[in-house]
Amino acid sequence: MKYHLLLIAMLFSAVATTFGQFGQTPAPAEIVTSPVTRTIALKNANIIPSPGQMIEKGIVVIKDGLILAVGKDVKIPIDAKVIDADSMYVYAGFIDGMSHVGIPAPQNNQGQGGFGAQAQRPQTQAQPQIDRGNPPNEAAGILPERSVETVIKMDDKSVADMRKLGFTAAHIVPRGNMLPGKGAIVLLNEKSPYLRKDASFFSQLQGSGRMYPSTVIAVMSKYRELYKQAEQAKTHEAMFAKNPKGMERPNYSPTLQAFYPVIDKKQTVFFNAEDVLSIYRVFTLQKDLGFSMVLANVKQGWEHADAIKTKGIPVILSLDLPEEPKTSENAQANASGRTPGRLVADRNEQPNAEDAKKEEPKEKVANDPEKEKLEARRKEEMKKYLAQAGVFESKGIEFGLATTDADSKNIHANLRKMIENGLTEKAALAALTTTPAKMLGLSDVLGTIEQGKIGNLVVTSKPYFDEKAKVKYVFVDGQMFEYEDEPAAPANRGRRPTGGGTN
Amino acid sequence: MKNYIILIIAFFAVSAVFAQPKTGSLLIKNGTILTITKGTLENTDVLIENGKITKIGKNLTAPRGIEIVDATGQFVMPGIIDAHSHQGIAATNEGTNPITPEVFIGDALDPVDIGLYRALAGGCTSSHAMHGSANVIGGECETIKHRWGTMNPQDIVMEGAPRTIKFALGENPMRSHGEGSGKVPSTRMGVEFVIREAFTNAQKYMAAWDKYNKEKATNPTAVAPTYNRRMETLADILKGNIIIHCHSYRADEIYMLLNVCKDFGVKKLVFQHTNEGFKVAPELAAFGAGASVFADWWAYKFEVYYSTAYNAAILTKNGVVTSINSDDANLIRHLNHEAAKTQRYGGLSDDEALALITINPAKQLGVADRIGSIEVGKDGDIAIFNKHPLSVYSVVQKSIIEGIVYFDIAKSADDARVSVNPEEALPAFSMESSHHSEFDSCMKDMFDYLFGGKE
Repeated sequence: MKYHLLLIAMLFSAVATTFGQFGQTPAPAEIVTSPVTRTIALKNANIIPSPGQMIEKGIVVIKDGLILAVGKDVKIPIDAKVIDADSMYVYAGFIDGMSHVGIPAPQNNQGQGGFGAQAQRPQTQAQPQIDRGNPPNEAAGILPERSVETVIKMDDKSVADMRKLGFTAAHIVPRGNMLPGKGAIVLLNEKSPYLRKDASFFSQLQGSGRMYPSTVIAVMSKYRELYKQAEQAKTHEAMFAKNPKGMERPNYSPTLQAFYPVIDKKQTVFFNAEDVLSIYRVFTLQKDLGFSMVLANVKQGWEHADAIKTKGIPVILSLDLPEEPKTSENAQANASGRTPGRLVADRNEQPNAEDAKKEEPKEKVANDPEKEKLEARRKEEMKKYLAQAGVFESKGIEFGLATTDADSKNIHANLRKMIENGLTEKAALAALTTTPAKMLGLSDVLGTIEQGKIGNLVVTSKPYFDEKAKVKYVFVDGQMFEYEDEPAAPANRGRRPTGGGTN
Repeated sequence: MKNYIILIIAFFAVSAVFAQPKTGSLLIKNGTILTITKGTLENTDVLIENGKITKIGKNLTAPRGIEIVDATGQFVMPGIIDAHSHQGIAATNEGTNPITPEVFIGDALDPVDIGLYRALAGGCTSSHAMHGSANVIGGECETIKHRWGTMNPQDIVMEGAPRTIKFALGENPMRSHGEGSGKVPSTRMGVEFVIREAFTNAQKYMAAWDKYNKEKATNPTAVAPTYNRRMETLADILKGNIIIHCHSYRADEIYMLLNVCKDFGVKKLVFQHTNEGFKVAPELAAFGAGASVFADWWAYKFEVYYSTAYNAAILTKNGVVTSINSDDANLIRHLNHEAAKTQRYGGLSDDEALALITINPAKQLGVADRIGSIEVGKDGDIAIFNKHPLSVYSVVQKSIIEGIVYFDIAKSADDARVSVNPEEALPAFSMESSHHSEFDSCMKDMFDYLFGGKE
């Protein structure tokens, strides 16, 4: 069985290599301008320089990657490419508070090591020899010393997908398990200029599947142990540097050394903490060890809103929202009395044909009050997830937004759901611009449309949060990406048929 | 200065938020009080104030504002305690290594597990949330109170309860590591070796720290030994700071661990399951080790082929502190019936039978000064039954923890869940484990390792 899986995995990777270039072509509707001039002026636009502000019929000029000027009475330089942005809306480029953009998702779901594409390496080697109770750090998912830059591929389709939504900069963290590596701030154009490397210490409670630490209890223990060992090692190195004679030599472990900036509070821990219980666990670690922290990718955090506010811990909410259950699955789960995907009690029980027949005729009970109550309860709970961002806003907590678990296809709709459930558009825009800029220490260069900031802009046909808003242009570091409206009819004679989907 | 004041105010606000769980006050009137330790009192009242039992007597008057619970014709007993459970936790086995004392079940508490509410509905107010039995030396466990209705794991912790740790002998660790990974132990000899080696390594670790602590003041080149949580916990066992709760079946392996513990000076020891405990009852009593057993469950695997429903009674009569546990999401709902079986098999008295699910598990968990009997000064943890709890007709009416009613049969909601999965259309209300499954629930999380499949 194992060999079959291996074969399939190899087959897939072979296919992926052969056809890889298809995946890497830029999204079809995106047009990248050749840099005839590096000066661009947007004219007659509705400019939103920062959340809550508006300059009608204004001008923005970008030159050499920076914002040269913004306002009503701005002189357009003679060498500028002028874009008539009549009735369009111009925003500061969005900042993805935490993201896996540019890191291809692993082809298999082994969940080990999990450092982007590189995670596949150990599996092709003689894996049975790894002692799963005491695995090497890579297999254990403990790689805090590694920088995410080593796995980012700026030609990955996800970069173009996110950019098309208006994201111009991202705090990218590696995929993986407990300590997959350090995050970086990256501008989302193809030249991939790093704004800041080793910008964050990314941590998760995720165990390594079959390897130690495999469960949350072991991850918690290992985190504490590594942290204390790092404190010890740091002290030892300092002592040795001062007075080496007669002293045992330090190990200089890169894994432990990666913690030093965290211990010194020069680097912030971005802790992935999605659900209410994970947040409690992360708070426990933070309290015990004392690092400075951003709670990231929060999906079920409203219970903690007051504590988050009191503790003053910055927070990044997830742009992923729960989905309505699929009805067929419900019917099945209902018929068998089992949770989908979870096998309970008797493993030997085989669904026999007679039982299947009995379940076949779907009882068409019109109104089952018990089921209705359960459904009402579920909807009520769903509402809490959708209203989370609004609740945080109402409590005066600023937050950024993370796309780590979000499908780019759902992001615009999810933002709208948050707004329908209580988030103001102003706060939504702040969560995409000024707040992440502040949280990541980038307010000097990103987050608003101001002279001297990096030329990151989003230009839309209608206000961004309007259902029918279309992104027309995105500027990253002054580089223009233009988006044509998707063709209304399937056949468009002027264009080559495209194979990769329309978004 | 102003900032300091704000800081101080903020500090108190935070402490208030994270303060100890709520306690309540109430007066239980006119019930039959099964104190367990001080006999049965007819038509008696129990007053609980701020979580503690303050008065037991007839015709007590309620201080102003205190809620009165009429228990006329009902039976009032201490909240049932389960010395072996895996309810209310999000992880059971770190089954990757035969020795994992560094992991702590308290890090994975899941207060929204509906199993806790079901336990309350059976009068069970406290349990021992244990690591599984995949490893010879498993993780530290947590003694919890079933304070339902919270999402905060800290709210269900029984503050101040002593540390406990799971050990496991026999087939489970042999299968998980010997068969599963080709490592020691694959035999019972290997299991003993693993424990002896671990304790020996812990002694060396302690010695290294002692040496460093002595030297560091005078020797500037002294370097601290590398911090190791595994060794730290093992050292704490050797120092007597942690009670061992050891999964065991056969008399020979029970006797083996008694000898190992004697050799290493470990005194705090409770055996779990202990199906052949009746064969070594005098030895257990002489050591002072406890035994926590099933009422009548065995023959679910080879090593547990030989047992008897008289086990609890024999152990009790030999002076072993004995409890009856559930290790199960279903049995935890009617431990009173499990205790009653010892009257059919062994003729234990009412108090002896009820002690198996109250004061005795409290002793085994080191919390007998707080819970397990109805006495002045103890926690107001109470189960009220409509009939005598040893009757099969008895039904729990109320479960009370520290003066707060957490289960009331008259008010229990149809849907008592605290947390609901918004992506799950209709929840499946099945119990995850039952005694008819092939393995005990101590092996949770392990099926993936062993069979590459689901549980």
